[in-house]
Amino acid sequence: MSDYTIIGKRMPRIDSRAKVMGKAKFTADLKLPGMLVGKIKRSPYAHARILNIDTSKAEALPGVKSVVTGKDTEGVKWGVFSYTRDQQFIQMEKVRYIGDEVAGVAAVDEETALEALDLIEVEYEELPAVFESMEALASQTEPIHEDFPNNINVHINIETGEVDENFKRAHYVREDTFVAPEDSYFMAEPYAVAARFDYDGCLEIWCPNGGPHMKSKPLSNAFKIPLHQVKVRKITIGGAFGGRSEICPADYICALLAKKADKPVKIEFTREENSIATRQGHAMITTHKTGVDKDGRVLARETTCYLDGGAYISTGPIAVSVPFLSMEQVYRMESVRYNGYSIYTNKPIRGMIRTHGRCFAAGLDTQLDMIAEHLGIDPVEMRLRNVRKPGEHTNTKSKVGSCAMDETIHKAVERSGFKDKWGKLPPFHGIGIGTNAVQVGFPMGIRGGSQSFIKFNEDGEATVMSGVVDNGQGNDNMLVQIAAEELGLLPEDIHLVSADTETTSSDPGSYSQVSTFVGGQAVQIAAANCRKKLFEVAAKVLKVKADTLAAKNRLIFVKDNPEKSIPIKKVVRISLTNFNSVNAEGGYWPKVDMKREWVSNPYGQMCEAFSFGTTIVEVKVDPDTGQVEVLNATACQDVGKALNPLVLEGQFEGAIAMGGQGGMLTEYHEWKDGRCLNPTMLDYKLPLACDMPNIDTIIVESIEPKGPYGAKEAGMSIAMSAAQGYSAAVSNAIGVYMDSFPLTPDKILAAIKEKKSRPQNKES
Amino acid sequence: MEKIEITLTINDKLREVSVAPNDTLLEVLREKFDLTGSKESCGEGVCGSCTIQMDGKPVRSCLTLALEADGCRIKTVEGLANGDQLSDLQESFINHGAVQCGFCTPGMLISADALLQNNPKPDEKTVRKTLAGNICRCTGYAKIVDAVCHTGNPDNQCPDCKTGQ
Repeated sequence: MSDYTIIGKRMPRIDSRAKVMGKAKFTADLKLPGMLVGKIKRSPYAHARILNIDTSKAEALPGVKSVVTGKDTEGVKWGVFSYTRDQQFIQMEKVRYIGDEVAGVAAVDEETALEALDLIEVEYEELPAVFESMEALASQTEPIHEDFPNNINVHINIETGEVDENFKRAHYVREDTFVAPEDSYFMAEPYAVAARFDYDGCLEIWCPNGGPHMKSKPLSNAFKIPLHQVKVRKITIGGAFGGRSEICPADYICALLAKKADKPVKIEFTREENSIATRQGHAMITTHKTGVDKDGRVLARETTCYLDGGAYISTGPIAVSVPFLSMEQVYRMESVRYNGYSIYTNKPIRGMIRTHGRCFAAGLDTQLDMIAEHLGIDPVEMRLRNVRKPGEHTNTKSKVGSCAMDETIHKAVERSGFKDKWGKLPPFHGIGIGTNAVQVGFPMGIRGGSQSFIKFNEDGEATVMSGVVDNGQGNDNMLVQIAAEELGLLPEDIHLVSADTETTSSDPGSYSQVSTFVGGQAVQIAAANCRKKLFEVAAKVLKVKADTLAAKNRLIFVKDNPEKSIPIKKVVRISLTNFNSVNAEGGYWPKVDMKREWVSNPYGQMCEAFSFGTTIVEVKVDPDTGQVEVLNATACQDVGKALNPLVLEGQFEGAIAMGGQGGMLTEYHEWKDGRCLNPTMLDYKLPLACDMPNIDTIIVESIEPKGPYGAKEAGMSIAMSAAQGYSAAVSNAIGVYMDSFPLTPDKILAAIKEKKSRPQNKES
Repeated sequence: MEKIEITLTINDKLREVSVAPNDTLLEVLREKFDLTGSKESCGEGVCGSCTIQMDGKPVRSCLTLALEADGCRIKTVEGLANGDQLSDLQESFINHGAVQCGFCTPGMLISADALLQNNPKPDEKTVRKTLAGNICRCTGYAKIVDAVCHTGNPDNQCPDCKTGQ
């Protein structure tokens, strides 16, 4: 299986040349003839009724070409699910967070557009607002959405096994609560969108996206135009991390301004807008109650989680489920009861983020360490006794195929020297381990599969069409690698047409880790079909059977006699001359349980594969300042098959930075009365080059039978386990189990002080 | 607003341009000269995406007024390659996998290029400290640091120093 030519090699990415030359075009770099500057007027109130909007002065300002408010819309509401459609793209009756969209303007330049925004007069009646999920639950004032009297917008209940019985027979039970505030994506590229309508009434739009087809459908709904009239174009994207998966109100506003002005419009977000008016990670409060037998095996767990869902819900059901899914995928539990709630608050809208549910995951592992300590079991052994094994089923009935969880633990433990260090390090010097598992996809209905077309050109090179989008993680390169491998061409012979809704077929987008597994596999199948056609023609020329042939380095040759060969280019030309098709298609639809539904039926096969990761982190804490110095991070993941180790390592390293270094040490939003106090890069502390530790990456290959070449996904279970590993290491260093994340110096100092003041009880 | 004529030497070419007193250098480079390689990410001098070299020193073009650059030599990411011939640093970024989404890459390259001009063999700590003014959200910096350290200074333990040779 190891005789691939291109798969498995450290291949530098095809998109990097344009990027290092400054030639890659991002949305903000686009210039269209006659293009106007668009700006959005946002609510200054967290909760208020809109009494009147007067745009007359703005419209009269010279240079203003269009002004739009809710009255210009078709009144269509957005939400991923039919039961979560609660957001208008421009508010008409009420605003529900500071930053909510109330109007848009397009003008000849930025100064004029900004001046016009100030000339729009909005009369508000302020309403009582709620800013925390617990407060929102108990609120007696006007609900944020009238259909939800207690502000609960999603409740997910999952129960499997005899939870109450198992707690009764448990040897040891403990219950702990863990909290974390909101975190943000801080993609390098601030959000931007450019749009124009053509003479046929077709909308052409460029914007960062997690899936072009996930943008075109809501836009066609919002404008009430057929789907083919929405053409989402490919553009370089400066990061997503889960935050660009959905339509953004700015997409619609930009297009509406363009339509009304009959000119192209571009909106570029400020950094502040990118933080408050795209999406954010959820604040969460998670309580885990866990009962174990005397050997530390989990007999029963009851988890309750409250997510601060912000003003509009959209993907809330997924957001409430995903932290639970990671838990049930990585750890065996004889029985479990989960109640997860998403609560409306007057804060910005939320989405999934790379380490979604950091307090849930880090809390879970912290509690496991507490239980292990009580039972006198070391953290590694505790995990080995509880982690997932291949062939098992999760509590919600997903069969787990390939699974090298144990191997990732053993390898990370060995490389990091965990056994020599744990319990033997000097004071304020600690080491910790985190383990996690991530689903490769979930049921996505009509857009759950991906299809690809491949056409050969006369010159023997191939054009590959795929709906897969590259957010920066390297998906374009992945598709080219796969196509080149299957077709027997070199990567430079493959020309990719992707992420464009006019020319590519439906695709799930880069959601839930499916780009390689589903989109890559579709390309693999299309390319194999294409190769088959070439082999039939080549077989006739070479006078052999088609199944004796192979393709490599632009040649088709007889496997047992490689001297006997013909250039692919020649086969293409012979085919065309003889009226044989040299194009092919292929598609992949993961076999999942389509009856599984987030709220009504959260049981059944979730996806076809799961990735498993272990992160071990070693830290030193300064007891006088509470500062954490991270000495080393060891990241080990079962990826199925490493299609490109160079790209994979980059994903692991980025995951350590975002999930661990930032997610567990510095990143969180601060608020005052619903206003985000740190929306900028100056105030929100992202990891810098000088902050990052040495990172050891270890790739484990379990070869997933259902994945392309055995591949699963690249790095998500590192992002998740990094949060757990970092928190475990800090807790180990200071001898206090931390329950409030991220672990900022103030919290660490308070914990050290509190521990000192405690009467001498047993030391950890 | 009254426009003022200034002269800039951008990537070795002498250019004249009329600018408003409040135009930033970044705006002028992107809008007047279509040099969109330099990016605006934070707009307040924190992230380093807009870094260019002014008389050889890395500066934030989002915080620099175009007027301040009058008469200066400006080097942007577009000036690193010699035609189609990439610089060693650019090649090293590609071969080490130091580019992911690519939005921070131009500023990162310009900062690193300025460092290497003065210190062709910087140690890792120096590279990390020098690049502390350039925020990357994708890579965790490991491959960027390797790419800079190994430019013109290959490490025979590094699998990516062999690529492209």
